[in-house]
Amino acid sequence: MISSVPLNASRRRVFGSVFSPAPLQARPTSAPGSDYDQTQLASFQSTSSTVKTGSFASPQQERFAEGPHDRESWDQAWSAATAFLAVPNQGFAPIYDARETDGSEALKDWNRLSPPSKETAEALSYLTAAGQQGSTAYGATSSKSLIDWYGDEIRRHFLANLRSGLYELLKTLEKEGLLRIIVDCLQLARRIYLAPVVHYLLPLLQTPERGRVLTQLQRGFHTVVSHSLPWSKISPLLGGELAQDALIILGIDTLLEDAEGNEGEGSQDEMEVDRQYSVSYEHWKNESAETRARMMTEGEDERVTIARDRLLAFLNGLQQVGLGGDKAQKVFASVMNIMMTEFVRAAYTGQWEAPTSVPQHLRHWIENVFARLAVQVLAIIHTPQTGNQSSSPLDVSFGDVEKWQEMGIARLGALRTSELFDVIVEWPASSGAVEDLRHFTTHPAARAHVTQSFITILNQRLLHPGASTVEILQVYISIIRAFHLLDPKGVLLDRIARPIRRYLRDRDDTIKVIVSGLLAEPAVAGTKPPSYANETLVELSTELSKAHQLSMENNTSELDWDDMNWMPDPVDAAPDYRKSKSSDVIDSVISLFDSKETFVKELQTLLSDRLLQKREKYDQEISVLELLKVRFGDSALQACEVMLRDISDSHRVNIAIRKDQGLIQPPARINKNKRPPSPPIPDIHAKILSRFFWPEIQDQEFKIPDEVASLQRRYAAGFEALKASRKLTWRNGLGQVLVELQLSDRDFSEEVTTWQATVIHAFHSDYDEPTSRNVSSLSAQLEMTPSLVRSASLFWVSKRILTESSRDEFSVLESLPSEDEDNDFGVVGADPADADTQAGDVSNAAAAAEAAAAAAAKESADAAAMEKMNLYWQFIVGMLTNQGAMPLARVVMMLKIVVPGGFPFSNEELREFLAGMVAKGKLEIVSGGNYKIVL
Amino acid sequence: MDYTMEDTQNSAPETREATKLSGAGQRGDTQSVTKRLQAELMQLMMAPSPGISAFPDADGNLLSWTGTITGPTETPYEGLTLKLSFAFPNNYPYSPPTVLFKTPIYHPNVDFSGRICLDILKDKWSAVYNVQSVLLSLQSLLGEPNNASPLNAQAAELWDSDQEEFKKHVLARHRDVDDE
Repeated sequence: MISSVPLNASRRRVFGSVFSPAPLQARPTSAPGSDYDQTQLASFQSTSSTVKTGSFASPQQERFAEGPHDRESWDQAWSAATAFLAVPNQGFAPIYDARETDGSEALKDWNRLSPPSKETAEALSYLTAAGQQGSTAYGATSSKSLIDWYGDEIRRHFLANLRSGLYELLKTLEKEGLLRIIVDCLQLARRIYLAPVVHYLLPLLQTPERGRVLTQLQRGFHTVVSHSLPWSKISPLLGGELAQDALIILGIDTLLEDAEGNEGEGSQDEMEVDRQYSVSYEHWKNESAETRARMMTEGEDERVTIARDRLLAFLNGLQQVGLGGDKAQKVFASVMNIMMTEFVRAAYTGQWEAPTSVPQHLRHWIENVFARLAVQVLAIIHTPQTGNQSSSPLDVSFGDVEKWQEMGIARLGALRTSELFDVIVEWPASSGAVEDLRHFTTHPAARAHVTQSFITILNQRLLHPGASTVEILQVYISIIRAFHLLDPKGVLLDRIARPIRRYLRDRDDTIKVIVSGLLAEPAVAGTKPPSYANETLVELSTELSKAHQLSMENNTSELDWDDMNWMPDPVDAAPDYRKSKSSDVIDSVISLFDSKETFVKELQTLLSDRLLQKREKYDQEISVLELLKVRFGDSALQACEVMLRDISDSHRVNIAIRKDQGLIQPPARINKNKRPPSPPIPDIHAKILSRFFWPEIQDQEFKIPDEVASLQRRYAAGFEALKASRKLTWRNGLGQVLVELQLSDRDFSEEVTTWQATVIHAFHSDYDEPTSRNVSSLSAQLEMTPSLVRSASLFWVSKRILTESSRDEFSVLESLPSEDEDNDFGVVGADPADADTQAGDVSNAAAAAEAAAAAAAKESADAAAMEKMNLYWQFIVGMLTNQGAMPLARVVMMLKIVVPGGFPFSNEELREFLAGMVAKGKLEIVSGGNYKIVL
Repeated sequence: MDYTMEDTQNSAPETREATKLSGAGQRGDTQSVTKRLQAELMQLMMAPSPGISAFPDADGNLLSWTGTITGPTETPYEGLTLKLSFAFPNNYPYSPPTVLFKTPIYHPNVDFSGRICLDILKDKWSAVYNVQSVLLSLQSLLGEPNNASPLNAQAAELWDSDQEEFKKHVLARHRDVDDE
């Protein structure tokens, strides 16, 4: 091409002769265009347009000055060149239609590829050559001005033809792939604009000039594009596109599919492919170390490759049309930010298995998948200033990758923190999750975050009335263990535990649950039905024996000067934080309460219940007591000790007395054991309790059958002989009786309570006639409360021994109703219809018996409560006598202060009680609801 | 004669006791005081004596009580209800409580501000006394005033000379203190 340059000069004259000197014809085609252009651009590029106008004006001035000949030929060349270069105003539609072709058609249509005619080519070379001859003053500027003019032409054309079309596109609702369409269109437009330049103009220029010119034109194009397309609209579209492909490339979509359980590609071989390339943590952790290393770098899934290519091609286009650069990088960064969170969530939610390698997996993924994509993308959408792609420095340093890994770990921590409650509920199957969290809780802010958010979750999910105390304690125990792993120093636990402990202290049944948990038998626990296991904290008793061994092992204290592993308390420890024993579950649970007394009291009550059961051995109780003694000291548990001794002593004493008194009959049984329907004399065993050391036992008082009473007298005599100066007081309400009943058609044998036995004994008759009794007479005869009599009778109804012929009237069911018709023993009121229902009623009767027993128990409890209330009555009398009339609330308050051990009744209960006293005339209510004593 | 005997017998151990036990008081061991008072209250409640009663005030620290004595029969105070205030020192029971009649009372050993002249509330105090014994002593004092050391000389004189007039004075002076 350079060879043609010398020719140009000679051909100028030819141009002049051939082309009629009609420059003004050509000029208007460009001039109005540029004018129009300038007004359009004035808003955003006023400086560049003025500069350009200047460059237009000056060469013409100079040309006029230098002479008409040159100017003429120049004008002619100019008009030819501009006519050739001008972009046809075809509007947006053709570009939109042709966006998916390779563009060659469109370029032809737009007349961008047809080589210039000879004259035009000469005109072009003339103009460029003029530009290259730096010495020629106007030549240099004219060449430039051709490029400038073309830049303006691009702008004009774009704004006139494409802008509105693109605008319309942006407004369409279908956002899917919209940006791709836009980018395709823009790319086509770019080719249309630049094709003639690249093909015909650039070759005429010198090599160093070429790059500069092209860059200049491109920059002009980019400017007009970014001006026409508002970034606020583009960025969400770009974000969507990036996210769509990034989801695939980063492997998040497969994870989500896996999570949903429907593997889109279910066939075998593709499963194999999955195995080779997978970002799934589940697959990864099952592989060997080498496979792990290769897993994310090799054998990339086809889908991923396609997506990657697609994305990179798209971004290339984006960059070419001027939508890349800084802004695109920002969008990319925000997308990648979301992706990381998304990945962590999709990959690791619920992955709590114990030997965790989640952090390694995450680091690995960030290094090989995440960073890789970032590098690739950033290489494309670099900032335009760096110019040449190949020369741009590596945008991602290793430091960046490390930073991303840290971010990933932080995300993981956030995920684990939000999961923490579930993790702890699943404990110990979920210890892996806590290990993950350890990587996160390395600095105080993260630790504070963990505790705070966990406390919030706790308040929402655990510390509310809907959760049972057992549940709360269970979780608390898990928390203790989990946080011990998370933070062996126990500072976090200390913080977490406070609200739980405070809450547990407010619960009435906490002590009871704890104590019954301690006394539960770990061995039996496994065989218990789960419903029962849920009600007791069997774990506690296991823990008790375990913790005992532990406490023996490490007995280090703060004052152990030889401890080479001593560490100061962490900086974020609370002032009253105590490190010791924070991991000791039993200690934490027991120390919930300020004093041991409440605990011991509850222990006594439960122990007494258990010891009074008829059993051969009490090993569990003994061992628990021994273990607790280690913690509480002997003196605190003295009463319990005595209780246990009572039981073992009475075993011995029982044998001795029975031998002395000749009460032994085979088979010997522990405990009081009576058989009401003699001829054979009932067998009696007793447990002798030291009343002083046993908690108050609620008892039903009633008259026992004479046979038993005489036996009791003999037994008592034997006891007094054995232990001088001591007396037996019988607690008839406690104990079990083995009852054997002989009915006309069947025998019955079962262990029942004493009062049930007493009631059935009253139905005893030596004749074959069915006996009938009613509740009130039985109650009088047995000196038993009617409700208890009724309860016992209903119990026997449920056993099909008695039947309720009419209300409160029971009679013996000598033979079962099914044989009723053939039988002479007419059951009272048992007509056939009744008999049918009767069979079905057994279960009802059982339920009724239970309910009645509960009612009777409540009655006796109420009576006991009233007795206690009498004590409080004395206080109330004293109070009202001396302090004058006062309202209920004040009475309650005062009682709470002055009564030792506190006042256990609610305002309502007291109001009821006081109302009774008002009715009895002992109190009166004066003005303002004040209670006043009546003297 | 008798009194001096008693004095020598009682004062010596008392001073010893006081010095020994003031330490306990200085420790400000209100807890033990509270405990003791609570026990006394419990005792009063469990085994109430007729005609006397006492109960802590509503201030909640148990160190001030109100007592009530019903006038013993066959005395000028028969049928009257007399209220007293008890203020327990921090080293109670090693120091006596301050006891005052809140109800205006006409009595040889009580002045018009309700201050009482009773040896066991002063130098004869001993730690074995308690609220109940103080109340019982006061109850008996109503029927048998100690006219040897009167606070109200007129009353003492009148007690000896004119029981009828005395009773009139008692009734004139008596006024039921209002219940709060």
